[in-house]
Amino acid sequence: MVQTPFTLAEPAAFPLVERFLFAALAIASGSLFWRRFGPIFRRILQSKKDADFRLAPVGRRVWDFVSEVLCQSKVIRQRPLPGLAHAFVFWGFCAFALVTLNHCAVGLGVGFLSPEGFFGRFYFFFAAVFAFACAIGILGLFVRRFLVRPRWLGAKLSWESGFIAFLIFFLMVTYLAAFFVPAGSQTITILWWLHTLTLLVFLPIIPHTKHLHLVLSPATVFLSRGSFSRIPPLAGDEDFGLVAGTDLTRLVSLQAYSCVECGRCTEHCPAANTGKTLNPKEIILGLRGYLNEFGPASSEPLLGKHNPPIAPFQCTTCGSCEFQCPVGIEHLPILVGLRRGAVNTGTWEDDHGAKLFLSLERGSNALGMQASERDKFIQKQQFPIFDGTQEYCLWLGCMGGYDPKGREIVADFARVMRFLGTSFGVLRKEKCTGDPVRRLGNDLLFQQLAESNLEALAQNKVKKIVTICPHCVRTIQEDWKEYGTPPEVEHHSEFMARHLSRLPRPSQQETIVYHDPCYLGRYRNVYEEPRSVVSHSGQLLEAERHGERSFCCGAGGGLAFLGEETGERVSHVRAKELVATGAKTIGTACPFCNSMFRDALASSSDAAPQLLDIAQLTARALPQQDAPSAS
Amino acid sequence: MSGILVVLEDREGRIGRISWEAVAAAIQLSSIASEPVHAVVVGADTATLAAEVAAKAVSGVIRMDHALLQTYTSDGYTHALEQLIRVRQPDFIVFPHTYQVRDFAPALAARLGQTLIGDVTSIAAGPLFTRQLMQGRITGTYRHNGNGPCFVSVQSGAFRSDSVTSGNAPVESFAPSLDAAQIRTRPGLPFRAAAQTVDLGSAQLIVSVGRGIKEADNLPLVQDLAAALGAELAASRPICDNGWLPMERQVGSSGQTVAPKVYIAIGISGAIQHLVGMKGSQCIVAINRDPDAPIFEVADYGIVGDLFEVVPALTAAIKAAKQ
Amino acid sequence: MKIVVAIKQVPERDAPVRIGAAGRWIEEADLQWALNESDAYALEEALQLKEQHGGEVIVLSAGPERAGSTIREALAKGADRAIHIDCDDLGNRDALGVARLLAAAIQPENPDLILTGLQSDDLGYGQTGVILAELLNLPHSSLILHVEKSDTGITVKRELEEGWFQNIELPLPAALTIQSGGTKLRYATLMGIKRAKTKEVRRVTAAELPVPSEATASLERIALPQKQKTTQILTGSAQEAAAALVEKLKFEVRAL
Repeated sequence: MVQTPFTLAEPAAFPLVERFLFAALAIASGSLFWRRFGPIFRRILQSKKDADFRLAPVGRRVWDFVSEVLCQSKVIRQRPLPGLAHAFVFWGFCAFALVTLNHCAVGLGVGFLSPEGFFGRFYFFFAAVFAFACAIGILGLFVRRFLVRPRWLGAKLSWESGFIAFLIFFLMVTYLAAFFVPAGSQTITILWWLHTLTLLVFLPIIPHTKHLHLVLSPATVFLSRGSFSRIPPLAGDEDFGLVAGTDLTRLVSLQAYSCVECGRCTEHCPAANTGKTLNPKEIILGLRGYLNEFGPASSEPLLGKHNPPIAPFQCTTCGSCEFQCPVGIEHLPILVGLRRGAVNTGTWEDDHGAKLFLSLERGSNALGMQASERDKFIQKQQFPIFDGTQEYCLWLGCMGGYDPKGREIVADFARVMRFLGTSFGVLRKEKCTGDPVRRLGNDLLFQQLAESNLEALAQNKVKKIVTICPHCVRTIQEDWKEYGTPPEVEHHSEFMARHLSRLPRPSQQETIVYHDPCYLGRYRNVYEEPRSVVSHSGQLLEAERHGERSFCCGAGGGLAFLGEETGERVSHVRAKELVATGAKTIGTACPFCNSMFRDALASSSDAAPQLLDIAQLTARALPQQDAPSAS
Repeated sequence: MSGILVVLEDREGRIGRISWEAVAAAIQLSSIASEPVHAVVVGADTATLAAEVAAKAVSGVIRMDHALLQTYTSDGYTHALEQLIRVRQPDFIVFPHTYQVRDFAPALAARLGQTLIGDVTSIAAGPLFTRQLMQGRITGTYRHNGNGPCFVSVQSGAFRSDSVTSGNAPVESFAPSLDAAQIRTRPGLPFRAAAQTVDLGSAQLIVSVGRGIKEADNLPLVQDLAAALGAELAASRPICDNGWLPMERQVGSSGQTVAPKVYIAIGISGAIQHLVGMKGSQCIVAINRDPDAPIFEVADYGIVGDLFEVVPALTAAIKAAKQ
Repeated sequence: MKIVVAIKQVPERDAPVRIGAAGRWIEEADLQWALNESDAYALEEALQLKEQHGGEVIVLSAGPERAGSTIREALAKGADRAIHIDCDDLGNRDALGVARLLAAAIQPENPDLILTGLQSDDLGYGQTGVILAELLNLPHSSLILHVEKSDTGITVKRELEEGWFQNIELPLPAALTIQSGGTKLRYATLMGIKRAKTKEVRRVTAAELPVPSEATASLERIALPQKQKTTQILTGSAQEAAAALVEKLKFEVRAL
């Protein structure tokens, strides 16, 4: 028999004994796999149904699946080099699926791909290219994990990762080697068996390790809630958030088992990077540990043995974790869910938190100020009261209405609106949108605030809102939906960007570094508008981390109200990064970021850059005449 | 039935200032109602107190002495004064609005089928009594109805104690009959809260310093002022962040919330984080070089100027005033 | 321990104050309502006593229909049941009149302890608790920051003036008025609100309670104070400004 030039050599027909041996081993391997995977699968299915789950729109799901799973878009975008290495391993596995199926079929004597046939030859060669890329990829990942060792992978070396890498590498090698062996030689059978045994060892290891993501993450991505930081509505009178195992929904359990421990979430987490207890990866693994020990029917509290009660309350809800996660885990609904569980049942005890809640139970704003202070500011600025005739309702928010710096921002933005001839009015009474209590998991208070504001806006016939605060924008547009139909709302960066051509430029062009607020960038996908506003006023510089990967200021998730942080201050870390750009000015687009940096810059001894909101940058170039003095 | 009784309280063996203010109020009431004012002193032995009041322009002093009135109890005072009122049948009974009066006067009035008109800030013809409502945001004018005695307590600082002129009033005694079994509560001795190292929360006077102080070496300037005032020293966050003062002296959203009688903010511009921690202060004084600093928005008194000049001048002025 | 806590619904702290048409009370139409602050502390003290020693906490409130929401809030925070005295003319009754209503409702309950807040944030009489004690012939103490159960009754920490305190022993039953700030308040929770739905609220009308309603002290009219808070800027040289400030601190603020 003439060896066809360069194709895969396959063993000739197997003796019956070997066939039986293979079948027995395959059954053993399969049942070992199921012995571990079965309980996991059952725990997921036994979890509570997600009350708000809808399969529609399927189109979006398919698109996410194609993009994130098949094209590995997130994996590659967030970490290009290791991402590509991983993608090659993944694509190698995909290409290999048919080969492996045939490989097993050969073992049973019913092989269907012939190395001699046209398709077989093509496909084996096609798979070989991927096998080669996969081998290189896994080698690269191995080097990174065991020799380079980025710190977010944790201090512990995982032998299983090494072993799995070896298995994958060996699978590829045994496959590729078969191209170089003459047909009919004994080596082929040895290679076949080596390859087969590797496969059969690999299979049961999957559910025991993070490689479970091979099986689960495609489903996790396909079934994800789909919109960023979507906090599901509570279902029924006994749902208070994530209190115990019985509150874990199928999506949460599926996600808990999908974590691949890549540490992308940890790498970007403001808490984990400043010495806090919270590590988003550990939260997910903690839930997995809980499910393994107690299961989804347990009434054991979720915050306790597997997750420290303090951890969820150190989250700034910046959303970096969820944004980065390549396997479709939605951290924010989980972190906020754990907070809801603790707050809605009253088990969370925190002096600052209780003070915040009580001031919103009794008053109108998160700062605990008298509402009359806001009235005074409105009078001083001569802001018209919204009466239905103006185009925009200018929403002041707590910071805009009470914070001296926030007031300057609002006053300057009002000057911009007046200059453009846009009509606006402010509400006579305004309550906190509920952002901090929403993120802290106080559903009772959030509902009261949302309903009361929705009612006031409807009474005043407000059609369009513009505000300087991205937290207000997000909460009004997305979170209020649970209780009514909010008016259209936009951030002042979007408004100003639209009117830039009619706004004057300042005479001198200084350097300005722009800080992306989490609630404008990741939460609203608005990156370009504020940049165009900044570029209009000066020369835009970028901090090392910017855009989608911007680092939080530390204020979100209600943390601005929770008192002193442990460890390093998030705001200081970020402020240093912004100062390091050498920019003359720091441009912000959120009054909370502004107030955090104001403090951070004040305690650095160097000559700090000036700190201005994009509205202030813009207002500087306006003619002076129409300005009542700020604050 | 006629006359005005004013019930006085002693402070460390002497008639307290607010009691003199109550006398002033009673005298004003007497000019409206044309009725004489008798002052009542209560205790185990009120000889000195009675002599002190007798030297003022009142129509008479009533000593109400009883061993069981040595220490204040609501039961003792209510029983004793009830007897006096039933005997003398006054038209008006005036009290200083002290914590002690708040503890028994409503019960005493109720026992006589009346309601106390409390915390009165002014008295006009009628007589009409004005007091604050809605936590000082509005004032209300009250009238007493019916034939019984009218109980009134007056707010500290609302009447001028120095308007009470000297005189020479007769002193009489009224001996109430009291039984130890009637006194159901057992009061302990007064005590102060255990002194902590830094207790900004209960401090009456606070001097607080901010970035305007520029350097740690300048801190003695404000420390001297705090010492002269007998005030606690506090700071805004950047001062504590820099380690110039310990963290427990930080006032603001991430530090302590304070509500002293006087808060003097020196070189503090007034960021919201700071304002939320001190906005409950009864009187806020701001010293800052920037006339547009937000701290002036919440201040009762402001001095726009260089703190390095103003603070030493203030320290000197306070020392002089205290001598 | 069976504890009755008398609470009042008052306008929310931030509520805008406008004089009503008759000039006798504020315009109530746009107001939002909340639990009176020191009553919240009285409730908290009662709940803590119950958590330590067992028993029952009953909230009692006189007020119109809308007071129901504040009663629910108290139940949500942990009270066991409530009595709502339906009464639309609360403002026409003086402190004695209101206390008579409350006393009539408390009498059949025979509680061990009656707590009220020190004073209401709207009318600010600060008398209800003390009068209740008188009407029910109970020993009482006011301005209480902390309550401890003892073998013979209770020991309370009472606030005196100028930073002084005093402990007082009282036998039970007794009545106390609670000062704000003595303890930390709990926040309202969703679970509490849900659980409160099934708790008993007994309603009685004021007319069913045999008490006289004429007032011996009546509110004739209300007005806005002439002086609003403004910042006085003290000018002159450093010495002059300092001297002016000392004058103010000494004679207006009386802090020196």
